[in-house]
Amino acid sequence: MADTKHEVLPGTLNLLILKTLATLGELHGYGIARRIEQVSDDLLELNQGTIYPALLKLEQMGWIRTRWSTSENNRRAKYYSLTRAGRKQLTVEEDAWRRTSAIVTRFLAPSEK
Amino acid sequence: MTSLRIFLSKLRGLFLKRRLDQEMQDEINAHLEMQIEDHLRQGMSLEEARYLALRKFGGVEQFKETHRDRRSLSSVETLLRDLNYGFRMLRRSPGVTAVAVLSLALGIGANTALFSVVDAVLLKTLPVEDPERLLVFEWQAGRPYRVSGMSGTSNVEGPPGTRSLSLFRYDVFEKLHRAQDTTPESPLSDLFAFAPLPELTAKLGDQAEIIDGQAVSGNYFDGLRLTPTLGRAITAEDDRPGAAPVVVLSYQLWQDRFDANPNVIGQQLKLNQQSLTIIGVTPRGFNGTLQVGYQPAVTVPLSIEPLLRGDNSNLATATSPGVWWLNVMGRLKPGATEEQVRQTLNGAFQTAALEAMPPPRKSTDPAQLAPKDYPRLIFEPGERGMLDRRKSYASTIYGLFIVVALVLLIACANLANLLLARATLRGPEISVRVAIGAGRWRLIRQLLTESLLLATLGGAVGVLFAFWGKSALVALTDNETRLLPKGVELSLNWRVLVFTVAVSFLTGVLFGFVPAWRATTSDLTTTLKQGGRATGRVSRLSKGLLVVQVALSALLLVGAGLFIRTLYNLQRVKLGFNPENLLVFRLQPERAGYKDERLLQFYQQVFDRLDHLPAVSGATFARVPLIADNNWFFNFLLPGETLETAPEHETMRQVVRENYFATMEIPFLRGREFTVQDDQHAPSVAIVNQTFQDKFFPNDDVLGKHITIDKSEFEIVGVVADTKYQRQREQNQPLLYTPWQQGVTDIGEMHFVLRTTSDPAALADQARLAVHALDSNLPITEIGTQSARAETTLGQERLYARLLSFFGVIALVLAAIGLFGVLAYSVSQRTKEIGIRMAFGAQVAQVIRLVIWQGMKLVLLGLAVSALIGYALKRLLDRQYFAPDSWQQQMAQQLYGVEVSDPLTLLAIATLLTLVALLSCWLPARRAAKVDPLVALRYE
Repeated sequence: MADTKHEVLPGTLNLLILKTLATLGELHGYGIARRIEQVSDDLLELNQGTIYPALLKLEQMGWIRTRWSTSENNRRAKYYSLTRAGRKQLTVEEDAWRRTSAIVTRFLAPSEK
Repeated sequence: MTSLRIFLSKLRGLFLKRRLDQEMQDEINAHLEMQIEDHLRQGMSLEEARYLALRKFGGVEQFKETHRDRRSLSSVETLLRDLNYGFRMLRRSPGVTAVAVLSLALGIGANTALFSVVDAVLLKTLPVEDPERLLVFEWQAGRPYRVSGMSGTSNVEGPPGTRSLSLFRYDVFEKLHRAQDTTPESPLSDLFAFAPLPELTAKLGDQAEIIDGQAVSGNYFDGLRLTPTLGRAITAEDDRPGAAPVVVLSYQLWQDRFDANPNVIGQQLKLNQQSLTIIGVTPRGFNGTLQVGYQPAVTVPLSIEPLLRGDNSNLATATSPGVWWLNVMGRLKPGATEEQVRQTLNGAFQTAALEAMPPPRKSTDPAQLAPKDYPRLIFEPGERGMLDRRKSYASTIYGLFIVVALVLLIACANLANLLLARATLRGPEISVRVAIGAGRWRLIRQLLTESLLLATLGGAVGVLFAFWGKSALVALTDNETRLLPKGVELSLNWRVLVFTVAVSFLTGVLFGFVPAWRATTSDLTTTLKQGGRATGRVSRLSKGLLVVQVALSALLLVGAGLFIRTLYNLQRVKLGFNPENLLVFRLQPERAGYKDERLLQFYQQVFDRLDHLPAVSGATFARVPLIADNNWFFNFLLPGETLETAPEHETMRQVVRENYFATMEIPFLRGREFTVQDDQHAPSVAIVNQTFQDKFFPNDDVLGKHITIDKSEFEIVGVVADTKYQRQREQNQPLLYTPWQQGVTDIGEMHFVLRTTSDPAALADQARLAVHALDSNLPITEIGTQSARAETTLGQERLYARLLSFFGVIALVLAAIGLFGVLAYSVSQRTKEIGIRMAFGAQVAQVIRLVIWQGMKLVLLGLAVSALIGYALKRLLDRQYFAPDSWQQQMAQQLYGVEVSDPLTLLAIATLLTLVALLSCWLPARRAAKVDPLVALRYE
């Protein structure tokens, strides 16, 4: 069964990236994109290119830092990692997400008589 | 904090653009390669791998664009890009750009120069600490309250039925000062007084010179918080009666006459024969607190004033019937208000003033003597010193501003037309950009950037023009014209520069906006269909602008023409005497202490010396110089009249030497001339002119009649022909002459007149030497030829003529360029149409006529518009629509011998404009005539 791919909700991309980095530590852009695809079982349709502007934004906010290094196949690649502020931001966003989804779930639940 | 970090990061992105671009490209490349490798490992072919990788990535360029936008300050980048683009566009047509920048520079430069005048005359504040806290004291009272004597200038306006004055009597000031000193918690921190001391004789080096000065109360410099740049300032100690006479020099005088010598402190300076010790020099840029343009070169304490003025002292007669002559200013404490000052001091002032004034006449209506009419204090802001005269210059300056602004508008109209034309050419390009999705405002912004760029360039060059024009403007002040006060320093300070920037900006927006708007409104399909060639029809807006330009130029030029004719007429007025080869100068021996018998002897001695100079063919002297804007008049009574029975009559007055009429070649009509025997022992006699006879003795013979002046009787013994007295344009006035030896109190100064066979200017040095030999302490002033003096009196008319001509010509040139540009553009657009016409048999002459008529239509319309405006103006003037002292009325009254609607001038200007316009139309017409129909039709 080919499930329809879901588009990544705008805004949640930040959360996904931060979580990925929290779990996997330092990673380059391609790696982050692959990871998101994997974890979602390829159900999330992600234009991989959108990663990069999002990463820039996160860097400008001071939640991730970057450095250039050599990748596993001897390529020069830019690596991203969480900062301490980023870790804090992750918890904030996680909480926010959980709360939002809880409210929406409650909304959609059949009304109690 | 995060916003700051984001900003800094974006700033970094702005500067490291290229490197970051490269980094991003590297990153994307790495990403794609890794993805491709993964795909290859999954077994795809290279082609499939690459294709899929790219698809997964999404639009590379789009992401690069988003990334770029986010990582840098996009607004700054766009601005830089717009500027770059704008520069390139301007460079593509350098000729057009040059003309545009030049015309803008002229307009903006003129405005800037004029604004510097406004700034110097009306806006600049005193270079002292906290000038806004300074107050000028004035007072107001009902009509019945009079002053017994006044010395100085006062120009205060008050409600009708009141008298307002900015001058105070010394004892009144003293009482005010005491009241202020003894009030606890007074709202004022200082109260000081000052007055001008004009025309002091100073011995500077070897020469005696006339300089202006001022006398100040002891706390003047303190109150202003002014620290001298050298030495010390005048203090209360120096202002006590009997204190050693001291003087403070102005910075200007110290530079010019003392070579900025620091050892000048302690030296003696001779003023009006008195020796004063120099104690200090005021700081640079301080020009006193008096009327604008009056720059005291020396400052002395008030107590010295009697020493310098002698019998003419105002201070010595400080009490009844004292003279009101002092200006008073005060400094408010921080937070204090005018109202508080009024409450504190008005009472004291009222008492003092009522004591000082003569009681109201018994015949006064009691209703006018209510307490509300008592003398009371009023205040004006003091940050610019004495304001009075500034206001009268204001209207003239603003009038001039209007003219200059008009010229700028014409330049803007030209540029608007230019940009309109260019915008139409770029129509398709712009429409396409709009179609692809460029924001309309974005495009307008870009087009506006171009025009702002032009305007900025124009403004920058304009500042240069203003800088050079400054000296021209200063020259305009040298002729005693009532346009600008003498001695005003015009500087391009920051206020002026801000003004220039603002004007440039507004100009750019003004002439740039409409073309930009129109360019972006055109609909894509229409412009693309026309294939880059618009219909060639000049928009109505362009035509309208041209008409306006022509009309404005016409108005300015007509004004110029009227004033040129006025000047011509005035220079040919019959003066009644022979002004050729006359050298005139002024002596004021009274200031050097000559009186009575000594004075008469002195004049005789000077005369003898001058008469014997070989170059002199005739010498004489008179109290009043002719055609020099001087006058002197007095009141007299006719025979049989007394002060109770008749009002006094007024006549102009002159005191002359016996040979005056002969030397000046004034025809003597009847009776006898003055002789040497008419001296102080002989009976008082007088000679009158024809107008006097006609006015006061129309039915009798005036000879032998006695008139009374100030209780003395004069017998009229002769009648002389009329002369112009004060100005060329005046009506003949009654004039009464008395011999110089009678009435010695009136001749403290005298104007010597020398007729020479050779060049009058060369005679000047000889005259100076002759006087110097007799008394080296006496300066010669106002030396020059009679003709030059007469020319100076025409200064105002000449000013108007010059200014209007200058601006009129500029306006005309701009209009001609505009006309040329519009027509040339139209022709270039209609090449195809012209080709078709010619192919169908139109003659070259017909084509030329077509183009010329297209242009001349607009010119004629413009002339008609200007005629309408002119007519309307004339009607308004006739109906006294403008206030009598408004600049419009004043200018109209300056005309002499011509009406505002003078047909000769109007015709001349209309012809001039038409000829110039024809020339402008001719060149594009010729280009149209050269169109080869075959080429035109082929060129699609």
